[in-house]
Parts: sequence; C-alpha cells; structure tokens
Amino acid sequence: MTDDLHPAELRASPAPNPIWTQLSVIWLVPLLALALTLGVAWKAYSDRGVLIEIDFADATGIRPGETPLKFREVDVGTVETVGFSPDLTSVRIGVRVDKHVAPYIDSEANFWLVRPQVSAQGISRLDTVLSGTFIEGYWDAEQKGEARTFQGLDKPPVAPDPSKGTWVELRAEDAGGLAEGAPILFRGVTVGRIQNLRLNDSDAGVTVDAFIEAPHDRRLTTTTRFWDTSGISVSLDATGVTLNMRSLASLVQGGIEFDTLSTGGTFVQNGFPYRLYPSADAAKASIFGNDLIDPPRFTLLFDDAIKGLERGAKVQFRGVEAGEVTDLSIKVQTDSLGTRYAQQQVIIALSPERLGLARDTDNEVVTEFLAGEVENGLRARIAGVGLLGSTLIVELTDVPDVPAQVMNLTAEPYPILPTAPAATNDLAASAEGIFKRIDALPIEQLMNSAIRTLDGISAVAESEDTRAVPGELNGLLAELRTLVDGLNAGGAADKTIAAIDGVTEAASSVLYEIEGLGETLKSTDEAAQAVAEMPLGEIGAKIDGILGDVRGMLGSEDAERLPRALSDTLEQTAALLDELRAGGAAEKLNGTLVAAQDAATAIAGASDRLPALTRKLEELVTTAEGLVASYGDRSAFNAEVLNSMRELRRATAAFGSLARMIERNPRAFILGR
Amino acid sequence: MARDRTILSAPETVLTARDAGLTGCTRCGRVWPEGTQTCGRCGARLHPVSTAGLQRVWAWWLAGLIFYIPANLYPMLRTATLGSSQQNTILGGVVELVAHHNYLVAGVVFVASIVIPIAKFFAIAYLALSVGHERRAGSHPHLRLYEVVEFIGRWSMIDVFVVAILSALVQLGAVASIHPGPAAASFALSVAFTMLSAQSFDPRLIWRGPAQAKDP
Repeated sequence: MTDDLHPAELRASPAPNPIWTQLSVIWLVPLLALALTLGVAWKAYSDRGVLIEIDFADATGIRPGETPLKFREVDVGTVETVGFSPDLTSVRIGVRVDKHVAPYIDSEANFWLVRPQVSAQGISRLDTVLSGTFIEGYWDAEQKGEARTFQGLDKPPVAPDPSKGTWVELRAEDAGGLAEGAPILFRGVTVGRIQNLRLNDSDAGVTVDAFIEAPHDRRLTTTTRFWDTSGISVSLDATGVTLNMRSLASLVQGGIEFDTLSTGGTFVQNGFPYRLYPSADAAKASIFGNDLIDPPRFTLLFDDAIKGLERGAKVQFRGVEAGEVTDLSIKVQTDSLGTRYAQQQVIIALSPERLGLARDTDNEVVTEFLAGEVENGLRARIAGVGLLGSTLIVELTDVPDVPAQVMNLTAEPYPILPTAPAATNDLAASAEGIFKRIDALPIEQLMNSAIRTLDGISAVAESEDTRAVPGELNGLLAELRTLVDGLNAGGAADKTIAAIDGVTEAASSVLYEIEGLGETLKSTDEAAQAVAEMPLGEIGAKIDGILGDVRGMLGSEDAERLPRALSDTLEQTAALLDELRAGGAAEKLNGTLVAAQDAATAIAGASDRLPALTRKLEELVTTAEGLVASYGDRSAFNAEVLNSMRELRRATAAFGSLARMIERNPRAFILGR
Repeated sequence: MARDRTILSAPETVLTARDAGLTGCTRCGRVWPEGTQTCGRCGARLHPVSTAGLQRVWAWWLAGLIFYIPANLYPMLRTATLGSSQQNTILGGVVELVAHHNYLVAGVVFVASIVIPIAKFFAIAYLALSVGHERRAGSHPHLRLYEVVEFIGRWSMIDVFVVAILSALVQLGAVASIHPGPAAASFALSVAFTMLSAQSFDPRLIWRGPAQAKDP
C-alpha cells in the first residue's frame, strides 16, 4: 500500500502580505469623499452666522428657516427658531445673522416686522403680501460691542435712520386729533412724521417726538413754531363761511405744521423741545415762541372776583407782554379767626427773556429777581385792556403806596406774588363817557335847524324880489349918473367934486351893504380903483380897508365845509350876477366912472385948492352917507334886500373857489371879457 | 450521475469552477482553464475570483455612504414662488407630500430616495460580509439579492432626474423657479458610488462559502 503512501500534501500558504500592500488605491475614493464632505461641513459651520434673539409681541407671518432679516432691504439673516420668552408674554425669534454683519449689531440696533400696512396715508409695503412678512433691522456703522438679545419695535420706526433728519420734541396741552405717524407739514409739504405720543410725567401735558427729514430739518431754528392742523376748522363771519382743512390724512390722523416766523434763531440739535400750539393763529399770535416750555410759574391770589379773565390771558410786566395765565381756580383759605373765605387763584407763566433776563435763566433766579421787585413795590393786579376794557389781563406793575409785602417763596406749587386791588378802569370809564356824550349830542335838531336855515337862504335867493335887486341898482346908478351929469353940466368944480364924492360914497356904501355879492364887489373894486387914481387918498384907503375885510371873509377856511343847499343858493347867486351883467349895469357904472374920471381931471386942475376941497369932500361924504342911508331907509323892500345881501355874504364866505376866482380876475367876471 | 444528483439534491456540496481549476468568464459564462487570460469566446479579460475585489466594494460602499449623509441633511430643492422661497430636504419633502395627502408620490419618493438606497447599503454590506460564510448551500437567495440590488440601484436616480428636469423646466423668473440644492449632487454621487460598489462585487464569490464548507 506504498502506493497509498505518498508525501503529505503540502499545505503551504503564501506568507501573508502586510495588509497595506493588499490595500487597493480604490480606498482613496472614500477618503476623498470623506474629506470633501467634512470640508463642506466645516465650511458651512465656519460660515454660519451669529444667532441673535429678538422679542416681539407676536410673530405673525414669521416662519423659521424662511423669514429673512433685512438690512436696507438686503437679506442679512434668516429666522432660525421661533419660541417664547420664559414668561410667555412675547415671542422670541432666533435669527441667524451673517457673520460679517453681526459685529455691527450692537445694543442700539432696532428690529421691527415689515408687513403690509393700511393707514390714512395709504397702503404701504404691499410687496410683503407676496414675499411674506420679514424682519427689518437698522443699526449704524459703529461697533459698540455686540449684543445678542433685543426687544423688537411694535411698529416700523418713522425714521429708521436717525442721521437723515432731526428729532425734536413737541409739547402740547393735549393731543388734539393727533395720532401716531401723523404728518408734519411745512407749507403744505409733508416733511416728517410724529411718533411716540405720550403723556408728560411732570405736568398734565402731552409730548410727542417729531422727526423732520433732511434736508427740511434745516428749516428748524429755535424760533420755529409748531401748531396742530388736525381736523377741520369752520369759521363764520361777515364774509361767509370759511372751511379750512389741510388734507384727508390730517383729518384722520391729525397733522402738525410748522413755520419759522421770526429770524434770529439758531439751528437745533436732536431732542430740542418745542411748544405745540393748538392752532396757527395761536402760534402766530403768541409772542413767546418756545420760551414757555418749562417757564417759571407763579401763583396770584385775588380777593375780588375776576370774571372775564381767561386761561391764556396775557401777563404784562410793566407794560410789556411777559407771560400768560395758565390756570384759574378757587382756593379756599382760612383766616386767623377761623373764617373760611375763597380766593381766586391764578397761575401765571413768565418768560425770563421778557423780564429782561437771559433766555435760559433758572427758575430760582427769576423768582429772586421778582422777589426783589416786589420789595420795591411790584404787585400783580387785574387790568382791562381794549377800547371798552372788556379784555382782562394780569398786570405786574409798580403800585404806589402799597403796604410792604414779600413773596411767599415756599408756597406750593408755585411762589406767590402779592397782588393789589384791580385798578379803576380809567380807560373804560372815559370811553364810556365819550360814548354817552356822543349819544347826548342833539344831532337831529342840529340837522333840522341847518336844513331850515338853508331853506330860508334858498327861498330868499330864489325870490323875485331878490332878482329885482339888480334893476334897482341900475336905477340907482342911473340916478347917480344923472346926478354926475348934472354936476358936470353945472361945470362948477365944487359941485363936481361934491357929486363925485356923492358917487363915491354911494358906491362905497352900496359896496358896504352888498359886499357879499361877488360882481358888485368887483365893480366896486373897479370903482375904487378909478377913484384911487384920483387924488382922493382917504377915500381910496377906506375902500381898500373894506376890500381887505371882504377878501379876508372870502378867503376863510369855512369854505371847505360847504353844505349842498348852499351850493344851490350860490348857483342862484351866480345866475343873479349874470343878470346883473346882462342888464348893462357894468357899462353904466363904467360910464359913470369915466365921467367921474373927467371930473377928476377937472379936479386935478383945481388942485391948488385941494386942502379945502378935501375938507369939503369929507363933509360931502358924510352927506352922501346920509343920503344913501336915507335912500336905504326909503323902503322896506330895500331893507329886505340888504338883509338878504348880508345872508348872502355869509354864504359867499364859504364859497372859496368862486371867491378866489373873483379875486384873481374881477374885471373879466363883471364885464364878461 | 451521482454528482448530478448530488448537485441537485444536495446543494451543500458544490463543485465550483475554481475547485475544478477553471475560471469562468464574467461576461459570457464560458469557463476556461485556470491561467487563461482572455475569454476565447467573447474576448473578455478573465480574472480569477478573488476576495481582493471586495476592497473595491467596500471602498465604493463607504464613499456612497459618506455622500448619503449630506444628501439627507442638505436641501434637495429650492423652490421660489412669487417671492417666497422654500427649501426641502428629501425627508422634508416626503413629509410635506404626506401633509398634502399625496401619499402615492410621497411613497414613490420615500421608496426611491430613502428605502432603496438604505436597503442597498445593507444588502451590499451583507453580501460582502457573507463572502465565504454562506452556510446555506447553493446560496441562491444571495444571488437573487445581488441581482435585485444591481437592477434596482439605478432607480434611486429617479430623484436626481426629477430635480434635474424640474430645474431645467421651471425657470419662470419671479413667478416660479426651482434650483437643485446641494443634496442633489451628494445624492447623485451616493447613488453612483453604491452602484459602482454593487458592480464591483463579484457574484462568483457567493459560491465561495458553500465550496469551502465542502472542502472539510
């Protein structure tokens, strides 16, 4: 069975290769894959942003992983988590912010939700209807230490970027119709918005932040005034109904307008406080501008009733407006005997500037100043102003002879200024007296009698008798002429002289009687001139005197107050004079005068006997006067004419223009040339 | 006859080509004596059965697994519709489809993108690990498993195709647009690597175990 024997089967196994020699290069594939994956993972991790947490009241429309955080409308992060604050009162949203942006997000950063908004100004952010709500943030470029938790704003801020405008603070007594986001207008153009309407902590007022966008904020100075234009104002006056409404938005939301009404202001910084006036009129009427934002206030206590004094009434400091009444109330006091009595308590606010102090003087300094003035006799009292004294003001003035008093500096809430009894309202009293006197004037009677007088004058002027006067005069002159002719014919110088004297006397007496009658005056003037050429100095002087009187009368200033009725009368007079002229009176007179001149020539020849002649002439004048007077007395009719003439003379005195014309060119008027 | 009977009735004892000193052609199945370099029938290169090939299986398998992780963590699709943008991972997309009651589509996506790749990992790993340890003679289930894995592997790409087609088609500007996410590439790589892994596996190894068991 050796056949069966054969060497043991060689059980040789190859030496095991080291394991690394067996490794295939294919293992590089998973290694590369691992490296790649790890690389991607590490990069994702290292690029991962910073997680910040923002608390919002609610998280409407926010979806984790989708809702972006935007800065200037650029995505800089994504909402990662939406949770709650520990007390469940707000939603805490975790936002993964780009790590390059994160360093700028400091504690001053603001975040708010951007949603579609429907407001009185229209619809905004409609784009977010499609894109969905997002979170918007604003932060500046300064890195002031990163913050990680924030309180989100309830609504988008009016001005996300505060560097693009100026924030100011407006203080008003009440909010009126203002609402958040109401526009601020400058001459009708919206230049800003208001925000953060709130009650004052200190006093019963309202404060609101106003943002004025650049570049309009340059229009703000310390003298700028803001007023409320909310709603509609309707005023009814003599011109009709005036309806004033700025814009629909301001009707719904209210609105504020401002303007710089006076120059001299300086530019303002953020947070500058302004006073918000209730109306444009109030803003423009107030002289204080923004002085009264936190003015020194004082209490006045009056014993008398001060009915009519209103809130906002002016306070005058020695005649200069220096403040206003801010409050009125009653204060019940108890005197030393335990009797209770009421006093009127008036709170006034004063402008330090108006008192002659610096604009920003401390209230204590103002109080000290006033305390000093009070020791010198300064008192507050009620005074009335206006024509009838119906408007009451408070007057701070030096009242003489008052018992010494000092200010109560410790009184609450404001120091008490001593008061004086209200001054008697002199002005009001005198105004009243004037009105009473005007009332008492017998204007009706005066008018009636004036009308009657003028009627009488008219009647006289229009009467046929008056018209007959020229005829009479003509007759008179004809007689005179006959007389002169007779004298001439007599040839005797004495007679002639006597005749001339008679004529002269007649003329001058006629003139004297009817001096008011224009053309008669002129003819008399002519006559006088003619006579003056004669060597009869005294006569000439006499006539001159008469004429002077007449002229003075005619030139009087009463002419300007010429009643209508007089004018009628004068027209009549003019007509009368025309008739005179037409009647040839002038020619006749001229003729007479020529004759007189002839006589005068003759007289000149006999001049050597002049002194005696003169004496005789004087006698003759006297005679002639008597003659004329007797002639005048001859009939009642003549007397009436003379009276009429006197009346007319008065009337004529008022008729300036006619008189002046007559004076200028008497000859033309009389002779018609 | 006895051998034939043995083969048919007693699969525990198998005579493999290797045992017979032959090398099978992996393409046409013709066996050649050991040492033959090329298949005389189809011209394919002949290589002996070796466990060294398992390294490649494991290497591809590992690479596929590595890429499968980001494929599931990163979003597959970025959908932008009228300003709102949405990103979905594979599983997130499935959940969303279920939420919209699209159970069929959700099922398809879930099976194609999650069940199949994971099952493939397990199947390949199982096949590779069990090389030489197949105790059950014949190992026909293993072979069937391998064939299923090879056949079904390509269907995992359906997700990638969907993403690619959608990205190409839905580019309507602001109205709607779809972009592939980083997961799409990862997933495609993962599928490709697992397919390579499956192909690297030499199914002849399945018979190694029963042959060794017979060996004593």
